[in-house]
Amino acid sequence: MVYAKNHSKPTLLLCLIMVSWLGVVGIAWAEKVKLSPDNWGKAEGKACIDCHEKSSPGLTRQWEESAHAKAGVNCLDCHQALPADDDALEHEGRVIATIVSPKDCGRCHTIESTETQNSVHSQAVALIGDKLPGLADNLSGKALISAGCTQCHGSFVAVRGDGTLTPESWPNSGIGRINPDGSRGSCSACHGRHQFSKAQARTPEACTWCHNGSDSPDDEVFEKSKHGALFTSHRDKMNLASDDWVTGKDYSAAPTCVTCHMGASPGLKASHDVGMREAWSLNGPVSEKQYLVIFEDGERRELPDTQAVPRRGSDLAKLDGSIGKVKAVATPKQRRQAMGKVCIECHSKGFTDGFMRQFDDAIKYYNERFGKPAQSIMRALYEKSLLTTTAFDEPLEFTYWKLWHDEGTKLRHGAAMASPNHSGWQGVHQVAQLFYGTFLSQLRELAGEETANALIGEYTSGWAQQKESAASTAPIPLVGYGVDKP
Amino acid sequence: MISIPAFITRHVLIALLLGGFAGILFVLFLIEFDHVTGSEEFCTGCHSMELVAEPYRDSAHYNPASGVRASCGDCHVSEGVFAATWDHILGGKDLWAQLFGPDYDDPAINALHTPDAAFAARRWFQKNDSATCRRCHVQDAINGSRANTLLIHQQETQGKSCIDCHYNLVHRRVPDEKTFKRDKWNRMIEQEFNLASGKADELLQH
Repeated sequence: MVYAKNHSKPTLLLCLIMVSWLGVVGIAWAEKVKLSPDNWGKAEGKACIDCHEKSSPGLTRQWEESAHAKAGVNCLDCHQALPADDDALEHEGRVIATIVSPKDCGRCHTIESTETQNSVHSQAVALIGDKLPGLADNLSGKALISAGCTQCHGSFVAVRGDGTLTPESWPNSGIGRINPDGSRGSCSACHGRHQFSKAQARTPEACTWCHNGSDSPDDEVFEKSKHGALFTSHRDKMNLASDDWVTGKDYSAAPTCVTCHMGASPGLKASHDVGMREAWSLNGPVSEKQYLVIFEDGERRELPDTQAVPRRGSDLAKLDGSIGKVKAVATPKQRRQAMGKVCIECHSKGFTDGFMRQFDDAIKYYNERFGKPAQSIMRALYEKSLLTTTAFDEPLEFTYWKLWHDEGTKLRHGAAMASPNHSGWQGVHQVAQLFYGTFLSQLRELAGEETANALIGEYTSGWAQQKESAASTAPIPLVGYGVDKP
Repeated sequence: MISIPAFITRHVLIALLLGGFAGILFVLFLIEFDHVTGSEEFCTGCHSMELVAEPYRDSAHYNPASGVRASCGDCHVSEGVFAATWDHILGGKDLWAQLFGPDYDDPAINALHTPDAAFAARRWFQKNDSATCRRCHVQDAINGSRANTLLIHQQETQGKSCIDCHYNLVHRRVPDEKTFKRDKWNRMIEQEFNLASGKADELLQH
């Protein structure tokens, strides 16, 4: 339900609008471009192809195989620029720009461009704003920002006074790239240029070039889930190149990332606002269920559901710090309902609810048992000045980071996407070993037995000291107790 | 016997001969003059030109694999003694500007004026259809090291002059005049030379 101050008639009306926004009105997959073809096929653009067939045949061939080429969209249609544009450059008599931003794509693909620019993807630079300094300065190193961080998150593309793009910020296809025209995002992060194939963008690989590894282990999690196994086995039955791509209608062999996070299902609209269907945040030290706040100008932000629901029309800080007016709020429940609509194409309602329950339980367990206690202990250590405020200069900081970020993320993503080994052995098992084995020992070493025990007692309700099962008389071979002499 | 008109006196003959010799000497002098004043050594005699020459010494026109080095005048002075002399007469205004104009020897001021110099040079190349490029480069013989270089230079060059595509080869990179933004350029130079904000505009006034 959409929350407002009280559930008056306008509120109920808003509910209805919101629910339909979330996709009760099912439509086909890709929005067809509704513009008249007079808007593209610039005559001057045809000359580009003549030369580029010779100078860069690879990319020209990719374009030749694209839907763009078939529709008559040529180089200049996308790369055209105005002389006043920051990154405009003269090239063989034409004024063009190297970077084709979502704003440029949006000249024709209006809906996708708007959805993308308002999605969590487009905020990928802002989202690491508080991580980057500590990580880059003291751990990974600044030199790796361009080759590492920003290649996925997006760079702040800087145009020099001579019209060139700085080598630190370009080339870059990061999903949250801040473009010279002020737009956020990069369509080519998912839609490989210059072919822009539907089929390619629907594969898991379109996402997993970034969504893999400790920050977002979705490649390995999906691969080791039943969904991933089915996809690998039945890739040829996925109908990936189909114009419409509605789950259960155009394909049913397996889901991909797109299926659940953006794709169309009967009764659920496809959307480039990826993240819209996610009830939990799974990438912080502690997971929170989250509202999706939609501002009047279309921008969005997440807000933990532990905070009060922002009222419609009220002012709220956006991610960039500026203030926006709240237009609507989608609750975690609504977001979960939208995701659930995809599940029930292949699973029963009971199966879906049961899975979501297991997922929620895993996240709550992680939060209460590890995430929150570790976070509270760290906060207390900083307050007591037992830790310096320089990031990554003490062993405990490394352990904490590894605990929630590396292993904790694996646990939670594993639970969200049904990879038992990632939630289990590679997830909670690692988290628990780190917490009991390393984190608490380092805490004792740093703070002394007495302070450490007080903190453990306060933030873990004492369970970290007292084991749930009492001392055993029966042999416990897994810890080497009671086994016969070899 | 050939009758010589009465006004051709001995003195006139001597004057003609001397005048002829002087003319020949003068043309020879011009040839030498154009040659010397087109050399790198002469041009970089002014410190301002030394600044311009720095990127040139890193360019392929200074150190080509072939060993054929293009000096300043090879590109910037026309072929033929009269055209070359004319270019030098026109170039005299640069000497005037060097002596009485802005302090081009200051690297920041030099860099601030570079775009205008580049635009003027490009217009000059355009006007003479890149004639000085063609002194060495023969369009039909541009094979390049990539597969289609020859084809591109044969099929994609109608109505185009070398300079239309090949600029920013030798000197500091300057965008095309169509997309040049003075404000952004000035800010870049201020950053490069640690100047206060707005200082570049001030320097340009003088």
